[in-house]
Amino acid sequence: MLKTQEYNLNLGPQHPSTHGVFRILLTLDGERVVKAEPIPGYLHRGVEKLAEARTYTQFIPYTDRLDYLAAMLQNWGYVMAVEKLMGIEVPERAEYMRVICGELSRLASHLIAIGTYSMDTGGVTGFELALRERETTMDLLEELTGSRMTLSYARIGGVAADAPEGWLDKVDKFMDKMPAYIDEYDGLIAGNEIFQARTMQVGVIKPETAISYSLSGPNLRGSGVNYDLRKAKPYSVYDRIDFDVPLGTNGDCYDRFYCRLQEMRQIVRILKQAVAQIKEVDGPVIGKVPKVLKPPKGEAYEEIESSKGIIGYYVVSDGSAKPYRIHVRRGSFINLGYLDELLRGVLLADVIAILGSLDIILGEVDC
Amino acid sequence: MFGKGLVKGLVITWKEFWTPKVTIQYPEEQPPVPERFHGRLSIEVDKCIACGMCVNACPNKVIELKKQKVGKKQFLTDYVQNVQYCLFCGLCVEACPKDALHFTAIFNMNQYFYDNLPVVLVQREAPAEPVEKEEPAAKAGSGDKVKPKPKAKVDKSVPAAASEVAAGKAPDKEGQ
Repeated sequence: MLKTQEYNLNLGPQHPSTHGVFRILLTLDGERVVKAEPIPGYLHRGVEKLAEARTYTQFIPYTDRLDYLAAMLQNWGYVMAVEKLMGIEVPERAEYMRVICGELSRLASHLIAIGTYSMDTGGVTGFELALRERETTMDLLEELTGSRMTLSYARIGGVAADAPEGWLDKVDKFMDKMPAYIDEYDGLIAGNEIFQARTMQVGVIKPETAISYSLSGPNLRGSGVNYDLRKAKPYSVYDRIDFDVPLGTNGDCYDRFYCRLQEMRQIVRILKQAVAQIKEVDGPVIGKVPKVLKPPKGEAYEEIESSKGIIGYYVVSDGSAKPYRIHVRRGSFINLGYLDELLRGVLLADVIAILGSLDIILGEVDC
Repeated sequence: MFGKGLVKGLVITWKEFWTPKVTIQYPEEQPPVPERFHGRLSIEVDKCIACGMCVNACPNKVIELKKQKVGKKQFLTDYVQNVQYCLFCGLCVEACPKDALHFTAIFNMNQYFYDNLPVVLVQREAPAEPVEKEEPAAKAGSGDKVKPKPKAKVDKSVPAAASEVAAGKAPDKEGQ
């Protein structure tokens, strides 16, 4: 039998399929992975440390940069933690605006996730299709917040501004069209035999493993674990909105992908309801917040369901205007924890498929 | 049927050929920009009271503001947006108590040389005596036009008087 020698292969950084600046040091035996060592840190900016030199409000734009594909969800998690610390009440209309903007952000993030995953597995058309709808989503977000990606929309006690005139109807109209587009992705990407062959029964994560490694988001639900913070610990106005949590059965790459696709259908449902309900709610979009925020001494942890998983903010206050310490529980980073074991024994081509299915974002991984 | 896929593909191509094009021939054509767009800053100097709230609100120490006391009032002499550090978050605009600071639709702020990057919004000398009615600051770049070559450095001709308060000094790029 032919003897092979183990060798190292650096996958990434800067490789498009590593979804940013991420490197995996693969030890290969032929085409089989023997060991995989994920090496993050190329995008590390010390965001948690930067927070200590800024006021509570000034940190909001930095949270955008963690998950720049779904910035609102990061904003939201952070402001919720500070609001809990200070005991600030958020007006109802602001909660709805957060849900609408947050779900649009989640849609934008999932569109990139399924688009890039299609490209990772060899289909460029899927990527272009996803970008088409993402463009509309970002146009809507731009009209609302003034920025396309780093929205900085949430404020401690509410949101930055109310929806412009006619904007809610635009969202509603877009949501009317969205199911047809999702069907298109379903047919073109998920229905593609090559795609199915490359993703089904590849990178299987068992439910118990997913739980023990603290995976979250679609990666956890792809394994069939029904845990969505919007249902398990309803925050904001999610308890008034009717939606389902899509689950996978096998826990393979296809299930994780398909979970995101199905989640997009739920986003449409959520947005349709939220837009209908907000029209009956009037009032300010920001609550009564002191000009200089000085939370009492103490700590607070608040977590929300982001597009990549659970994003949690742990804020410690020493009573001054600047946070004493902030720690961010990043879904993407924790989802990578199982990568080494997941990649052992798979083929090199599957490494890309598995990494893509985890939908990491390096801004969040490196923090 | 053999070739069914080809026909399907061609039908899509044919439809797509007749749909309106989305490509914009930038810079000849300008893309549509919404009202709330976070572009370059613009300041209405007549409204500005040089309080420095925008400077304090900025998380990245982007804004450089200099003022001089003329009579009892503060007079804004220099206002620079160090655009290279700007997060375009809008906290400065929100902080302005007189609604003097706005975002414009200008997104093209690129410069060939790094030194030219900071956008000088106001650069003027303070009058010696307080005037009853403020002259409509001629040198103030409050219009929507981008200056051809804005300079980063503030005017050295303005004497560094003791009353000058360097409220908007941005000493550290890291904001520490």
